[in-house]
Amino acid sequence: MDFKLGEKEEALRKGIREFAQKELPSECFCLLLEEESRDEDWKLAMSISKKLAQKGWLVMAWPKEYGGQGASYWEQMVYGEECGYWGIPGVAMGVSGVAWVGPSLMQFGNEEQRKKYLPLIASGEADGVWCTAYSEPNAGSDFANIQTRAVRDGDEYVINGQKVWTSCAHRARWCWLAVKTDPGAPKKHRGISIFMVDMKSPGITVNPLLNYHDAHIFNEVFFDNVRVPASNLVGEENKGWYHLMQSLASERHSLGPPLYGNARRLLDELAGYAKEIQHDGKPLSQNLGVRHMLADAVVEAEMLKLFNYQVTWELTQGLIPIYGSSRNKAFGDQLLERIGIIGMRIMGAYCQVDPYSKWTKLHGIIQRVYLLSPGISIAAGTDEIEKNVIGQFKLGLPKSY
Amino acid sequence: MDFKLSEDQEMLRSLARDFLTKECPKAKVRELENDEKGYDPRMWQKMAELGWLGLVFPENYGGTGGTFLDLVLLMEEIGKNILPGPFFSTTVCALPILEYGNEWQKAKFLPQVANGTAIWALAVIETLGGYKASEIKASARVGDGHYIIEGTKLFVPNANVANHLLVAARTSEDAEGVAMFIVDANSAGVEVEVIPTIAQDKQCQVTFNRVEVPEGNVLGDVGGGWDIVEFILDRAAILKCAEVSGGCQAVVEMTNAYAKDRVQFDKPIGSFQAIQHRLVDMFVNAEGLQYLVYQAAWEISTGFPSRLHTSLVKAKAGEVYQRTCLDAIKIHGATGFTKEHDVGLYFRRVKASEFAMGDSDLWEERVAAELGL
Repeated sequence: MDFKLGEKEEALRKGIREFAQKELPSECFCLLLEEESRDEDWKLAMSISKKLAQKGWLVMAWPKEYGGQGASYWEQMVYGEECGYWGIPGVAMGVSGVAWVGPSLMQFGNEEQRKKYLPLIASGEADGVWCTAYSEPNAGSDFANIQTRAVRDGDEYVINGQKVWTSCAHRARWCWLAVKTDPGAPKKHRGISIFMVDMKSPGITVNPLLNYHDAHIFNEVFFDNVRVPASNLVGEENKGWYHLMQSLASERHSLGPPLYGNARRLLDELAGYAKEIQHDGKPLSQNLGVRHMLADAVVEAEMLKLFNYQVTWELTQGLIPIYGSSRNKAFGDQLLERIGIIGMRIMGAYCQVDPYSKWTKLHGIIQRVYLLSPGISIAAGTDEIEKNVIGQFKLGLPKSY
Repeated sequence: MDFKLSEDQEMLRSLARDFLTKECPKAKVRELENDEKGYDPRMWQKMAELGWLGLVFPENYGGTGGTFLDLVLLMEEIGKNILPGPFFSTTVCALPILEYGNEWQKAKFLPQVANGTAIWALAVIETLGGYKASEIKASARVGDGHYIIEGTKLFVPNANVANHLLVAARTSEDAEGVAMFIVDANSAGVEVEVIPTIAQDKQCQVTFNRVEVPEGNVLGDVGGGWDIVEFILDRAAILKCAEVSGGCQAVVEMTNAYAKDRVQFDKPIGSFQAIQHRLVDMFVNAEGLQYLVYQAAWEISTGFPSRLHTSLVKAKAGEVYQRTCLDAIKIHGATGFTKEHDVGLYFRRVKASEFAMGDSDLWEERVAAELGL
């Protein structure tokens, strides 16, 4: 047993820290999905993406031939932690491309597809931005229930249907789309396929869906006789479900380290704030309740860190983390929510101020976390679905739904 | 970074598992709860023969030269199975003797621990029940070639069977003017009374009525006693948390088995999300606690413990053990509430382990301090 990271990883950590201090505006702290809403945030995010690409960090895990560095799992983990700690925007470019479109294409795409799409993502340019369209009005957690159809017509497929909760569709150049290709399949998850669709194709309509705080993160996307070249089918027709289960595992795994980084940064900021603020002539940091709330959250952050280490270690051993990615995602979501709640309490009356107004404290990060955390815990699989995965595949319990 | 145990560690663990299953079934645990001594001397002797009692001592003191992490793995198995008796109390006294003892003390006391002839008990806390130097009121006055100890210690584990006590007593009025004394438990003036506890685990009140202790029995420096207590606390807390971690794992395992087995509404109750998700939460928290323990233990083994990593384990362990046991009982239904069911044996140990070696508040305060608060 050994709990120390190597020199290479620590050097990378230092490099990212220097990068963040040099390249980011001082008040910048970006949470997952947040950069997609306001134009000025998106502009900054895309400028940082390019710089991350130049550094060789944006897709560091990928092989050199596709624009990566072949970075180790440990380096990827440290990169995730630090990006979360510094709240570096542009890391994910709408999440999909970097986190799972690229890895999926390497797993089950063909060489032509890899050559075309991977360098675009690796460049950090706008043409490498992807959205992912899985959910539909009647297919949320029950994803296999999707109705959007793709029908073969010569060298093309014709797509019709509606997607919803599609993050980043309003920024994306490409869509990673799940559709039904065989609605008559005996089991509904056997008739699903994945396509890559150009968002400029005729017949695509993107309607914004604002969240309860007016943030524009997700959208409805309508497909009306959208024609897609057959060469844009990824992997095998009707095997989409199995491909997606693999890519969902990568997706969830990539979320743990940044959530840990976010958590530690927020706790450091709150600790600093509590030391500055005076109540009855004493710093708030001397209040026992405040001390213990923050201490509890630090302990849970440490658990999340070790969960991330454990999954990363399994990957280095060639093991497939059967339940660990689900555990880390759900645990991280709950932690972020809890920090939001604690943070709002520590901010006192200022917690109700709009995060972008001049009255806000700590650049509004606490309100933003509080407002965003329910969304984060739903995206990429709700916590309940993650718990089903752990119950079934780790504890060996019967299917519960 | 490596989550794998060494082959030797795997072997230690499986030997421990086999030994405890065979020698200390739950019927034995129950028997020892009602036994006056609270441990089985035959089993104790076998533990000595297995090398457990001197696990981390060098060979010249009768030990087997294991690491602190090895000891933690053993405690984890002890917690899983529940082993009543003075293993923990003896170990947490032996560790500071190994670290702070002079050559004469080490040569005299450690081999007796290793071969099973000496049982030890740590006597630090008093009526306020906390680990603070200022709470130490027991006094040690200088006599003629000896010290005279006077005062009362509470919650001294296994003092009823101890040959030696490691006692914190005040040598001066400055807050930290505390020294650690090695006291022969049979000295005139030592009075031991077992406190009835929920865990029936033989914690005692020990009264010192003008007890004479030779000068040579001071451990470390006079006035440096509190540093020794801190040294003990860091290590003993991790050992106690390893025991808790093992207990949590055992409770999750038995509850998971029950949830698969028990049928209601024509289905195993584990197929209901109200049960399944609760079990998942129990499992995940127990697993997290296990890793927190391993990280701290590994760091102590390397000689570079992090104060944050050490402190946060015991800040969390009590809460996890309590939640795990309470949920386990509820999942078992009324069966879990009975005297016959094993889950209650674990639940009755929750508070004993939480208050051994500093409660959650003390350790949360340390975490807060590490956060710069």
